[in-house]
Amino acid sequence: MTTPMIQLSGVRKSFGAVGVIQGVDIEVEDGEFSVFVGPSGCGKSTLLRMIAGLESIDGGDLILNGQRINDVPPDQRGIAMVFQSYALYPHMTVAQNIGFSLDLKKVPKAEIAKEVRRVSELLQLSDLLNRRPAELSGGQRQRVAIGRAIIKRPRVILFDEPLSNLDAALRVQMRAELQKLHQELRPTIVYVTHDQVEAMTMATRIVVLNKGRVEQWDTPIELYNNPVNTFVAGFIGSPRMNLVAGSIVGNASTQHFKANAGWMVSMDGRSLAGVVGQQVTLGIRPEDIRPVASASEADMQASIAIVERLGAETYLNVRNGEDTLLVRAQGDLAMKSGETVQLAMNHAAFHLFDQSNNVIAA
Amino acid sequence: MAGVNSPRQGAYTALAYVTLIVISIFCLLPFIWMALASVDSNAQLFLKWPDSWTFDNYIRVFAEENGVRWFANSLFTVLSATILVVIISGLGGYALSRSKAWWKQPFLYGILLIRVLPSTALLVPLYKILLTANNGMGALVRPWAGENYRAIMQMVGFIDGYLGLIIVLATGQLPLALWIMKVFFDGVPKDYEEAAILDGATLVQRIRRVLIPLALPGLAAAGLFAFMSAWGDFLLPLILLSSPELQTLPIGLFRAFLRINEIDYGLLAAIATIYLIPAVIAFSFARRFLVQTFSGGVKG
Ligand SMILES: Nc1ncnc2c1ncn2[C@@H]1O[C@H](COP(=O)(O)OP(=O)(O)OP(=O)(O)O)[C@@H](O)[C@H]1O
Ligand SMILES: [Mg+2]
Repeated sequence: MTTPMIQLSGVRKSFGAVGVIQGVDIEVEDGEFSVFVGPSGCGKSTLLRMIAGLESIDGGDLILNGQRINDVPPDQRGIAMVFQSYALYPHMTVAQNIGFSLDLKKVPKAEIAKEVRRVSELLQLSDLLNRRPAELSGGQRQRVAIGRAIIKRPRVILFDEPLSNLDAALRVQMRAELQKLHQELRPTIVYVTHDQVEAMTMATRIVVLNKGRVEQWDTPIELYNNPVNTFVAGFIGSPRMNLVAGSIVGNASTQHFKANAGWMVSMDGRSLAGVVGQQVTLGIRPEDIRPVASASEADMQASIAIVERLGAETYLNVRNGEDTLLVRAQGDLAMKSGETVQLAMNHAAFHLFDQSNNVIAA
Repeated sequence: MAGVNSPRQGAYTALAYVTLIVISIFCLLPFIWMALASVDSNAQLFLKWPDSWTFDNYIRVFAEENGVRWFANSLFTVLSATILVVIISGLGGYALSRSKAWWKQPFLYGILLIRVLPSTALLVPLYKILLTANNGMGALVRPWAGENYRAIMQMVGFIDGYLGLIIVLATGQLPLALWIMKVFFDGVPKDYEEAAILDGATLVQRIRRVLIPLALPGLAAAGLFAFMSAWGDFLLPLILLSSPELQTLPIGLFRAFLRINEIDYGLLAAIATIYLIPAVIAFSFARRFLVQTFSGGVKG
């Protein structure tokens, strides 16, 4: 086992009486692209800024490459950061912005020019070196901000929602560029976003944060397939997983899930004898429900509330009693709201959560 | 809708121009009178074309009167006050913008009061305070100054001394400047400084290479406002300065106007013209920065 690049153990932070980070334990391996996701206000930026050294750490250890750096000044941590606002100095040219950190260290001019050239070629900024930030497009500014970070050859680069100021098309493009950059330079990246598509596509590992705590911490596909609680289940995956309240009914040999709204589905293949009679939450992703022709194949029947036909797939918003489910069906389905539809579920893709919202192992 | 070229539209445009021209002439007339009178060998109270062109009036301001001294005094006191205002409002505006102290709002409105109250109303208590301070300063200076006492007190005295006038002028201009700089720094994201911290900039480097360049338009606006307003101040130098060597331009102008014998309009016009020039220069600089400062902070 190699030592992880970044290691947080029991890290805490309060603003006044409010505990914003309440004991975080994670590790980021060398060269990893780690993404922090979570709803607004959950403490993503605060955690990132603590790693950078811009916020003090109230408790726990922050270890970089085997060395505790809680009290090391920000500029001596070997960490660079790309800000959401980019924070490019308007009075400096692109070249001066990129070379600023070297200039502060009194690196000889020729050396700085050489490094700036290396970075600007990497980021396709060579033609823009004499412009000022105000004369650049959003994507170009973004690249300058990245250039300013990588010129220091940092061991770790932190990104705080770097793409949120860009339009959708540019965001997709910059996503690809960031991934390419990561593959070429192999820095350790910690990236904050609340866009879970960004998280799923770029991350080697995702840290799901909620209210200052780590809910789950794993590879994207593991989070998608095996969420440990209803929060992660609802947060990862788009459109979000259906979560239905109900209980387990049956006897020692066979069990069913009975929704509070009344419908039932068998829980074959799982040994749930221990939870019979308990309140649970059933999680099923929209892509694991499909409309079928006959009632004999179906698990439930529902009436269609809303139909969204996107061509390649069709979203059905269906109702059964109190329960609303989202169905993501392949292909174009000519269905209308108000109709009744028979639905079959992929039983292998069921997620079951107990009363405290934690997963019940299969 | 009438077309752009319809006769009616043309008539309106013409009317608008005529109105504007009349207003402009009305506003400009005093300046025209002043400019013409200052180069007239026989200037009169009414507007007239110069009998013969001459620079005599200007020469007299500098040769016979103490024009150079007045000008230098004005420039020295007002520029010193301006520099003081720029430094204090730069530091103070930054602190007021970043601080979360509870007294921030009360303080900001409190200092605005200095600006709102008529300074004439405060003159008596102000004079009292300055007199006390002046006595204190005198006691400090007297033991070692010997025969230079008067000369030194003209520099560092609070009454009839440069220092007092500079401080009082600066104090008068500070509230507005502090507000300008506070609002300006509110528009400068903290990210700039934090990026610089991560780049390894020391506090001095952050101020010199990041904050001052970012704040330059704001500082220029605050400084120019302070300069223009202090330059135009008449009452304070009149009350605070009595030695002839310390007179400033507006006081010189005023004293020349009060001479017992007949009024020398040519001379007055020349002094007034000289008095106006720095203000006009300052204003032409100000325009550039004002637009930048008041159209919303730093763009990057
Ligand atoms: N300087 C501060 N003083 C007081 N409270 C703060 C400060 N900075 C952040 N907070 C609080 O800490 C919590 C976490 O903030 P943080 O900025 O880390 O959230 P975030 O996850 O980055 O949210 P977003 O997605 O909106 O950027 C919020 O409730 C916020 O109000
Ligand atoms: Mg944030």
